[in-house]
Amino acid sequence: MQVKGSTLLRALRSPYILLTPSFLYMIIIMGYPILYAINLALRDPTTNEFTFNNIVVAYRYYKFGEALLYTFIIIFAVIILDFILATLIALYFFTSRFKGSQIVFYIFIIPLTLSEVAAALIWYTMLSPTSHLNKFLLELGVIEEPLQLFGYVFRHRTLLAIIIAEVWRTTALVFIILYANMQLLNREYFEAADVFGFSFLDKLRHIILPLLKPAIESALIIRTLLALQVYATPLVLSGLDIPVLSTITYYWFTERFNINVASVYALIIGVIALTLGSLYIRTLRVRYEV
Amino acid sequence: MVSVRTVLAGLVILLIVVAGLLILLRPREEVAPPAPLVWASTQLAPAAEQAFVRELLKDFTGETGIEVEFVPLGYAEMASKIEAEVTAGRVATNLIGALSTEIEFFVARGWVEDLRKFGALGGRTFFESVERASIIRDSKAYVPWIIGTYVMVINNKAFDYLPPGLTKEDVIMGSEKWTYDALLEWAKRVADATGKNLAGFPAAPGGLFHRFLHGYLYPSFTGYQAKEFNSLDATRAWEYLRELWKYVNPASTTWDAMAEPLLKEEVWIAWDHIARIRAAITTKPDDFTVAPVPAGPKGRGYIIVLGGLAIPKGAPNQDEAWKLVEFLTRPEVQAKVAEAVGWLPTTMEAEVRVTGPVGKIVEGSSRLLATKDGIPVFIPPLGGKGGEFSSTYREAFERIVLRNEDTRKVLDELMGRLKEIFESVGVPLS
Repeated sequence: MQVKGSTLLRALRSPYILLTPSFLYMIIIMGYPILYAINLALRDPTTNEFTFNNIVVAYRYYKFGEALLYTFIIIFAVIILDFILATLIALYFFTSRFKGSQIVFYIFIIPLTLSEVAAALIWYTMLSPTSHLNKFLLELGVIEEPLQLFGYVFRHRTLLAIIIAEVWRTTALVFIILYANMQLLNREYFEAADVFGFSFLDKLRHIILPLLKPAIESALIIRTLLALQVYATPLVLSGLDIPVLSTITYYWFTERFNINVASVYALIIGVIALTLGSLYIRTLRVRYEV
Repeated sequence: MVSVRTVLAGLVILLIVVAGLLILLRPREEVAPPAPLVWASTQLAPAAEQAFVRELLKDFTGETGIEVEFVPLGYAEMASKIEAEVTAGRVATNLIGALSTEIEFFVARGWVEDLRKFGALGGRTFFESVERASIIRDSKAYVPWIIGTYVMVINNKAFDYLPPGLTKEDVIMGSEKWTYDALLEWAKRVADATGKNLAGFPAAPGGLFHRFLHGYLYPSFTGYQAKEFNSLDATRAWEYLRELWKYVNPASTTWDAMAEPLLKEEVWIAWDHIARIRAAITTKPDDFTVAPVPAGPKGRGYIIVLGGLAIPKGAPNQDEAWKLVEFLTRPEVQAKVAEAVGWLPTTMEAEVRVTGPVGKIVEGSSRLLATKDGIPVFIPPLGGKGGEFSSTYREAFERIVLRNEDTRKVLDELMGRLKEIFESVGVPLS
């Protein structure tokens, strides 16, 4: 009995048994909806028979190419700007402490607390031709007529507005991750660096950035996945003038009542997210070779 | 040795058990109250409108003692619910509130009662056109309940720039001079004078611009919504829209509803559904005029959205349900609905009762309904294919007007899709 009990106990301690609840959870919460979406994507909308036609329809939709292009433009532009800005601001807070820096810090992360739709509506109102911003610029004489940013003919300006609004909204997220990790850095490295007469840029290149690699990795993954979800900002600011993958998914589901083609797009978003995620983990894996 | 902690834990458990027992064994009410009437509706579903309906129903309960449960449903849910109940012979829904095209589908399946057995409703005169529409396959399928339509809303400042030959009176009354060509000329003059393109449409994905295309532009230029989709007349309609679009505020493609842009004066001449311009009229009643839409070469195409009340076949308590129908179509109740929610009444007596800013909408819409050259159309009853239908017109618009593709080519290509949609539902192209 005694022996048997201890084997059982050991078996129970095996990592696989211990992980079972999480696996079950993953299967129920993630696996089932994904399988369901795959099933939907391969069913005919009217007859419910097995078909690959939805994929053809999704691919041939005249806005699909644009949606793909704009999604990637927004992802890359927003992420690059986010990281440049967030790093600079984090470094600023890290190196200089001034009176009231805490308050500035909190003000700075306000955009993060706003919902995406609210933020998008704020920007839409602010940038519309009858906005206070336009009136102010008109009175200053900077512009002669109100700036038109919205509408199909101005879609490239709208794209710019979307990128600015998204950067405004999400830089704080990257900033918080980077700043939190910067504060954890061992100050002794910097003291040693000072002894060796490192300049600030040297410290940045040889100490701060390498040690921040894991933080940058997680920030990149989170930020990329969020950027793939970008939805309310393009929808509010452009309608479908600047289609992105999530807005055309929404369009097919709510305006065309076609859940099957919408599922195809949702799966495409999923595949891109998984690919980018694993790419990051591969390329940014921290190697402790020092 | 019993620790304090054990005692406390014991007490807590005891407390929970006692509370549980008390809840389980509480005295029950001896007699169940009579089951309320179930009124399922695809309309008045937004939260604010539901709250209004529930408040309104209290008056009915106070008067008759009949409790009513208002159940807002999507069309698909409604259809499957009624189908399940009627085919199983156990009908739980006492009254249906739905759009005429939705009820038409139920009539075809034999799911609703012929209402003639209840006789006529006194003290109210239904409009001729809606009364005629409610008789389907020689059966009185529903009682006309609410009407919606789409109108022009004009900022009064725009009347200073009317083109020669067109008077304010022409526009307000919808005379034969109020045409699409006159609209183009007017929008152009406004643009020349102000330097801004002040015509506008709700052309964002959530807007109802597709209704303008198939229910206004097409009937006005071709006489039909879909039948003449790629005809020569249709190409003329698109050429016209291309021309008009030069004076339309380009931000139109980001607007779901016109109330906001009208109030912000980003637009002076707008077209939209009456419910979606309501906020502008109620906020600044003196700034705006609600007017009929212009006419095209074939007439003045416009959409009537008609909601009706029907009783499912074999439903229990039909006399109580009929009392609710009587209550809901009373002129004073219809006037209340119009004032609170913006749907128009279906009876002549109710119309004159609507006061306040919403009265302007009622007035403008009824002038549209009264125009002699009117071509009233219903949104085709395409069920789940409705989205495909609307998006066909939207796609035509985007490709022809926004992307400047060849009109003929686009229309010929999309005509195939349109035919398929109608064929798959078994509805003739109209």
